[in-house]
Amino acid sequence: MVPGVMLTLSAKRFTLNLINMFKLNLKIALRNLFKNKIYAAINIGGLGIGLTAFVLMLLYINHEESYDTWDPALKNVYQIRERHNFFTPDNKEHLQESNESRVANLIRQKVPQVIAVTKVDPDWDFRTGNSVKIGNADPITVYRMKDADSSFFHVFKYKFLQGSENNALKAPKSVVLKQSLARKIFGEGNMLGKVIKVVAWQGDEGTDLTVTGVIEDPETPETAGFTAIMRTGNKDKDPDNPTNSNYCQVYARVNEEADPELLNQTLKKVYVDYKKSTAPLRKIDYKSYFANGKYLQLKAIPLAEVHGNRPFEISWLEKLKPVIAICVFLLLVSIINFVNLATAQSVQRAKEVGVKKVMGAYKQQLIGQFLLECALQSMVALFLSVILIEVLLPWFNTQFHVELSFWHNANLFNILLQLLGLFTLVTLLAGFYPAWILSNYNPASVLKGNYSGSLKGIILRNVLVVFQFIISVTFIIAISVMHLQTNYLYNKDLGFERSNLINIRSGYDQNLAEKIKRIPGVQYVATTTQVMGNAFNVPEEIEYNGNKISLNTVTISMDALSALGVKLLKGRVFSKEYKQDTVNTVVLNEAAAKLIDKNPVGKSYKIIDQDRTFNFQIIGVIRNYHNEGFDKEVLPTLYKVTHLGGTSSTNNLIVRLNSDKSAAIIEKIKAEWKHAYPDFPMEYTTLDSAFDKVLENNRLFINMIMLFSTVSVSLSLLGLFALSTFVAKRRTKEIAMRKILGASNVQIVNLLNKTFLVLVIIANLISWPVAYIVVKKWLNGFAYRIDLPLYPFFLATVISIIIAVLTVSIQARRAALANPVNALKYE
Amino acid sequence: MIQLNNIEKYYANKGVKNYVLRLVTTTINQGEFVSIMGPSGAGKSTLLNIIGMLEEPTYGSYEFLGEDVTALNERKRIELYRNHIGFVFQAYHLIDEMTVYENIEAPLLYKKVGGAERASRIADLLDRFNMVAKKDLFPNQLSGGQQQLVGIARALAAQPSIILADEPTGNLQSAQAEEIMELFKKLNQEDGITIIQVTHSEKNAQYGNRILHIADGVVKEDVLVG
Repeated sequence: MVPGVMLTLSAKRFTLNLINMFKLNLKIALRNLFKNKIYAAINIGGLGIGLTAFVLMLLYINHEESYDTWDPALKNVYQIRERHNFFTPDNKEHLQESNESRVANLIRQKVPQVIAVTKVDPDWDFRTGNSVKIGNADPITVYRMKDADSSFFHVFKYKFLQGSENNALKAPKSVVLKQSLARKIFGEGNMLGKVIKVVAWQGDEGTDLTVTGVIEDPETPETAGFTAIMRTGNKDKDPDNPTNSNYCQVYARVNEEADPELLNQTLKKVYVDYKKSTAPLRKIDYKSYFANGKYLQLKAIPLAEVHGNRPFEISWLEKLKPVIAICVFLLLVSIINFVNLATAQSVQRAKEVGVKKVMGAYKQQLIGQFLLECALQSMVALFLSVILIEVLLPWFNTQFHVELSFWHNANLFNILLQLLGLFTLVTLLAGFYPAWILSNYNPASVLKGNYSGSLKGIILRNVLVVFQFIISVTFIIAISVMHLQTNYLYNKDLGFERSNLINIRSGYDQNLAEKIKRIPGVQYVATTTQVMGNAFNVPEEIEYNGNKISLNTVTISMDALSALGVKLLKGRVFSKEYKQDTVNTVVLNEAAAKLIDKNPVGKSYKIIDQDRTFNFQIIGVIRNYHNEGFDKEVLPTLYKVTHLGGTSSTNNLIVRLNSDKSAAIIEKIKAEWKHAYPDFPMEYTTLDSAFDKVLENNRLFINMIMLFSTVSVSLSLLGLFALSTFVAKRRTKEIAMRKILGASNVQIVNLLNKTFLVLVIIANLISWPVAYIVVKKWLNGFAYRIDLPLYPFFLATVISIIIAVLTVSIQARRAALANPVNALKYE
Repeated sequence: MIQLNNIEKYYANKGVKNYVLRLVTTTINQGEFVSIMGPSGAGKSTLLNIIGMLEEPTYGSYEFLGEDVTALNERKRIELYRNHIGFVFQAYHLIDEMTVYENIEAPLLYKKVGGAERASRIADLLDRFNMVAKKDLFPNQLSGGQQQLVGIARALAAQPSIILADEPTGNLQSAQAEEIMELFKKLNQEDGITIIQVTHSEKNAQYGNRILHIADGVVKEDVLVG
């Protein structure tokens, strides 16, 4: 025969053989799984649950990573950020997403790399929808319609289904709809040329906009998200008066060759020059203004990096870190179960290993066989988790306000690749150690006859059990502390009465306010720039006894403090009986009073505005009241009444009800509203729900920890249960002997418990400091928090010991009750 | 075929050597049927394990088919298992999760015997041992004697030149034991397979043609039978 043919023949035979061996090993694996159904179920189910959490997290990360990836050309798009102190939560200067509108023109004219620049509305938290009216139909509220200038679609290259990029925003009073919105308001068909009336706030008479384009909804989420882009004309020009400014977001598209570093250098130079040259116009002395630590900054952020680091927000990755840690731990717990059970079970397979070795199996072949078994189980677990995810996703999405999908994901291929990687990792982590242990069995000792197992892997098994319990105990401690802290926040005195208080999204309209006041059951109607759910902070520097103090200013109407139900500590609150109350009196909160004077009531301070000086008298001090999350301290604040009882732009019309029938009263208020503003639906929130919203993130986080800890603790217990079964089985002979020697059942149960109890106690000792550090760090995120109590630590220890003992005792009891004759017969 | 020279096996315990085997020297030729006999703890099984390369002697030299076994690496040793040695155990040691057919097939898979050849060899063995009807049963569905038959069939599947049997009938009733011993005798006489067995029973030893009597780790007697 020709050597080549022989070679192919033997190669073919070799592969055939491999396939046969694979088949046989697969059969053995399946038969073993069926033989040990319960343990297989624990193993696979546990792993499936661990994987589910991990894959959900992967989906979430993929979702966040997919922001602004809908067009490859977006790599040339930058978000411009300017440093200023307008509308910041702490009244200090920050690099912000909103820019003074003149920045756009400046870049367009002075930065050569830039091809197109656009100005667009930011996502205001407190602004809800626009009212959209088509013909004479009832108005509907549409969220996230944004006003932009004509260049928007030159920067963001959306795919036009109707109309074209070049003509869409060419004329003012035009609007481009996303397909999803277009379908909602028009259905199908040609929409170009149709007119919609957009009312931006209740007093607005509305703008007729012509539809000039429909664009496709991108598959992945966008930072600058919108439902429609309008060109009302407001973004076309900047304010005429140099001291006035508008704020909006600015995005720029640069040419292919532009270097980000160089771009930012150019920006900086252009911006500083501009600020210097316009300083006199804005009546600012450039040198003295920037002397005390303030500095100028304008920066272009690549769009890809925008979502990951937004100002005033912890980046999603930072937020997710504890969740990632938890998911990894959960997966580890289930892998540990896997390893523990597999090594404990290995005794049953020892004979097989011994026989195969003397039949001429290589060690690698045996390792391969056991890895294959593990892969089979991880595969089933992975399928299980995919099913679980499909079932859980809708719940998960509503619970955590996200829109994740699995099968319909734009990145499905990527996700499947990640799953494959995860599968390999899990198989190796869970399978390699048991495979190694098994394949190392010495055939001579295994085959000698009665082989009851060795102590191999017992140290590792114990370490793993301890590790599992460290995780579980830490979880238990964390939940109890979180529970206590949440209770504390829920029952905390907010400084104002949150029940029976509603906040309508509107400014103060004297006529409407009077009408609402006349409704029976309404006690106060007022407005303020600062209330829980919508706080607008304005910094102000005052001078008291020669000291300059920076405070937060809140503008309110006469009744606002009474309407909120704040607690007066000293002096009085505003009242109609005092004429000067609308001119030059202020009320301070406790924090501000602390900065000014021990006894501030009746004293005066000055405000110096350019060359004029104003005097204000302090008439009262109120208890600090909360208007933002509990992670921030209440700012030192002064309260002023404006002439007409509030500005039109507060967007907070607060109504205090003094009746139980709030639903009926709200209906009446709605009727009054509809009468006043037929084109704009009334929107309101109760302060109770505003409060819930403040605590929402916290609640979500705790719910998640709660869920994960329950799963983790149950997995650990399942693992312990299965492990104790094996240990009891392995010690059958010992137990039988002890019984013959006169040990009682209780003594035998104790004997088995002792082994595990030591492990659980060690785990507790280790998890105390770990939990202390973790929980302390979490608590430190709150400006208002409980002192770290000690009893959750003891509680966790007691709980873990009790459940561990119960779990082990079930098995131990069975072993103790067994007839010793049966165990000894097989000698 | 097998050449043992001054084989010693001991365990050192607190400086004291506990001897299991002492200065065992013997030669076993192709085609012999040797029984190793002796009281419990005499070192019979250890000697068989050393011959089967499952244990290493502490001292001495061992040549298998003219090759020095102590210098053999693991791969080479596994090659010997695949091609030359078949094991039969007192507790049968069939793999519980495999059927009769699969148990016999397993060594052939490791030896990389082709599919057709494999099928014909297994069919042959099943036929010879009257197990055709039982080929799809699992070991726990068989009697002890039948299990041992499968064990022997498995050992024969790879067509070894030598079979090492550690008390092959120890767990069997006498009728079944006789059947197994007859089979060994037949294999030895008709197929020329070398057999070394460890046994307690004088009767079983009579089936072979040579007996090694061991006591306290030392070969006391080496007698020919018949």
